[in-house]
Amino acid sequence: MAEADATGKLPFDLPDVDYEQYTNRQLIVVPLVVLVIALAVIGAFFAVTGSPVRPGLAFTGGTELQLTAADSAAAIESTFQSEGFDVESVQPIRTQSDGYIVTFQSTDTDGIQQAAEGAGYDVDSIQGRSASFGAQSQSQALLGVGVAFAGMAVLVFALFRTFVPSIAVVVSAFSDIVIPLALMNVFGMELTLGTVAALLMLIGYSVDSDLLLNNHILRRSGGFYESTYRAMRTGVTMTLTSIAAMTVMSVVAFLLGIPLLPAVGTVLVFGLVADLMNTYLMNVTLLRYYKYEGVAK
Amino acid sequence: MNLSPRENWRIYLLLVLLLVSTVAVFVPLGGADTDDSQTNLEYGLELSGGTRVRAPLVGMTAEVELEGASARDIESSVASQLNRSRTDVQVREVRDGQDTVELFANEANGNITQADFAAALQTSGLDATTDDVRPGVTEATRQTAVNVLDSKINSVGLSGGTVSTTRTPTGETFILVEVPNANRSEVLRLITSRGQVELVAHFPQQGGNETTYRNVGLLTQEDFANQNFQAAQAEGNQPARVPVSLRQDPAQNFSDAMQSFGFTDEGIGSCGYRPESGEDPDTYPGYCLYTVRDGEVVYGASMSPGLARTIRSGDFVKDPAFVITANNFSEAQQLAIDLQAGALPTTLDIEGQGTTYFLEPSLANEFKLFSLITALVAVFAVAGMVFLRYREPGVAAPMVLTAGAEVFLLLGFASAVGLALDLSHIAGFIAVIGTGVDDLIIIADEILQSGEVNTSRVFESRFRKAFWVIGAAAATTIIAMSPLAVLSLGDLQGFAIITIVGVLLGVLVTRPAYGDILRTLVLDDV
Repeated sequence: MAEADATGKLPFDLPDVDYEQYTNRQLIVVPLVVLVIALAVIGAFFAVTGSPVRPGLAFTGGTELQLTAADSAAAIESTFQSEGFDVESVQPIRTQSDGYIVTFQSTDTDGIQQAAEGAGYDVDSIQGRSASFGAQSQSQALLGVGVAFAGMAVLVFALFRTFVPSIAVVVSAFSDIVIPLALMNVFGMELTLGTVAALLMLIGYSVDSDLLLNNHILRRSGGFYESTYRAMRTGVTMTLTSIAAMTVMSVVAFLLGIPLLPAVGTVLVFGLVADLMNTYLMNVTLLRYYKYEGVAK
Repeated sequence: MNLSPRENWRIYLLLVLLLVSTVAVFVPLGGADTDDSQTNLEYGLELSGGTRVRAPLVGMTAEVELEGASARDIESSVASQLNRSRTDVQVREVRDGQDTVELFANEANGNITQADFAAALQTSGLDATTDDVRPGVTEATRQTAVNVLDSKINSVGLSGGTVSTTRTPTGETFILVEVPNANRSEVLRLITSRGQVELVAHFPQQGGNETTYRNVGLLTQEDFANQNFQAAQAEGNQPARVPVSLRQDPAQNFSDAMQSFGFTDEGIGSCGYRPESGEDPDTYPGYCLYTVRDGEVVYGASMSPGLARTIRSGDFVKDPAFVITANNFSEAQQLAIDLQAGALPTTLDIEGQGTTYFLEPSLANEFKLFSLITALVAVFAVAGMVFLRYREPGVAAPMVLTAGAEVFLLLGFASAVGLALDLSHIAGFIAVIGTGVDDLIIIADEILQSGEVNTSRVFESRFRKAFWVIGAAAATTIIAMSPLAVLSLGDLQGFAIITIVGVLLGVLVTRPAYGDILRTLVLDDV
């Protein structure tokens, strides 16, 4: 069992971080700048479109059609256009020759299905959501994320009962959700039910490594840097393992053409990477401030 | 190797549960296991293909006190003021409870506001204001709708279809219809119409020097004796039809009406109405027995000389055999389904507030295989990382096996409770592997950290320390997921339930068992 005990090495031969070389201000500025940029991206998107992130079919209503046709994407679009249906997007499916996913804002799912069948296309899958159902789902999803976040915050404060360590966890989790949201805007990803699930999952993953760090620093004997180093050794392994699993899942599911899973995986990867930064730059710094200055006062 | 059950009870508990899961997943449990799969796992629409429709029932409900007023009078008064059919109003008198009046229309479907409805109730002598009217229908109506939809789906042989209700936290209730292997238009055709079948007598009446025509509704679904309704093909001069038999009282009423309206004398054989001609059935000259479906005349039948004779002689009341006629065989089949299943109390608002989903079964089967591959690859990725980190098969292999066992226990849980697996559940499985391995890494690092573990006591203390973080993290995950488990966001409910159950199984069973496995290995090393 000697290997795992080898001191002075982070897992996966990562270089050691010498926190003592940097001031609190130097350390915390990176995650704060990233958080501000992320908020700015979301704010700008909100100013332009009226919503913080582009809502998908599940939240706006509309029709999504998966079909098999010998036509080109442009021909499919003009087929529906001539039937009076405005096509929002036509995406070829990678794994399926002649397969396309076509989306419409129209909720006349019946008419669209008839138009597709009339043109000789094979309808593999079709789903329609009315606009009011979509709007309702959106408010429920927001409510869900809000309640989950509030619940997490209350639990964290109950666990630590001190302000700085608790707020460190909560702010870090907040940033872990905001950064992927901004990245979704940057990469043009839509908010779907799958990505909402991923954002909620991030609350759980994010708190995992933060709790570990707080626990090691506050509840264990040993110096600050030694405790941090131990927590990092475990936490970085955890997060990197999760990133590896989610990256692989996203890529494989995308290549195999499975819906839902690639978006879930991608958002989790965004959030987990953000979590590495937030936990080991922001959270550590807040804890160091608390240990050396906050308590000393 | 220490194998004493007293110290390793966590490992034994895991083994027992794995055995139970194996039984739940693989052992055929008698009954109707008709599909050709080798497991007891059930798959949802996203992994088996089929159609799902989710929509609310159209209507609004007024909570009122009837105070002895006749339900029948209120129904016809409200219906006539709002210019609706009487079947669109339903009065329910509840003993020791809240009486209700339902109207099966609303602003989007029928252009009637809650204020209109309240005004009509007041004019009908009930003390009702707009505040007493709420959108939606009563539980009793929903139950009827679920039963009717269920028997409609079963009557056309769509096996495995389910109808249920789901409730949103905002208090709205949706009807959920799921039919595997059926395409969307097939299901919609079956469930969008109410399927009210009525037999209406249409006949001329002399008033002064003018001839007017009257329509009198004579028979509805409830007037037919319960039986197995079967459509019959047209033959000779007989049109396509559904043979039925009348109950005693309706048969007497029908017989009396036919004679007093003149059907059995001058009215014999005098109906030539054809719906496809486009003529107005209300002014069509002649004596007709209209078959009316959802307010539309689908066929006009003449009184036959034979039936007229049995009515006059009184034999008809003794043996009230009758036929509901239709234009062609497929219409007759539709009528038979309507008679068998009964009428829906109100329509489903699919276009306005509903969702529909259809997935081609062959595509769904691909998803099933592909998501298994995806999950396996994800497990290999985890295994690779863990081996890279510990470079010690004794630590890493049990870790991967334990995470796998967690998923297997979850599959057992899904089989045991009959949870139909969908893509969202697969995402949940992968999330569970993720958090599971995280926790196992915490346990391993805590126990293997600096200093030899040479007694059980040291081990126990380290294990308990590791468990504080694991328990706290599990509690947060459960809290984060619980809104999704209650909100009716469709797909996400499955994801949340699997994640919560997975975390619970992990914290209570598999992760402690991994701790015991590690102890056995560590203490052996010493």
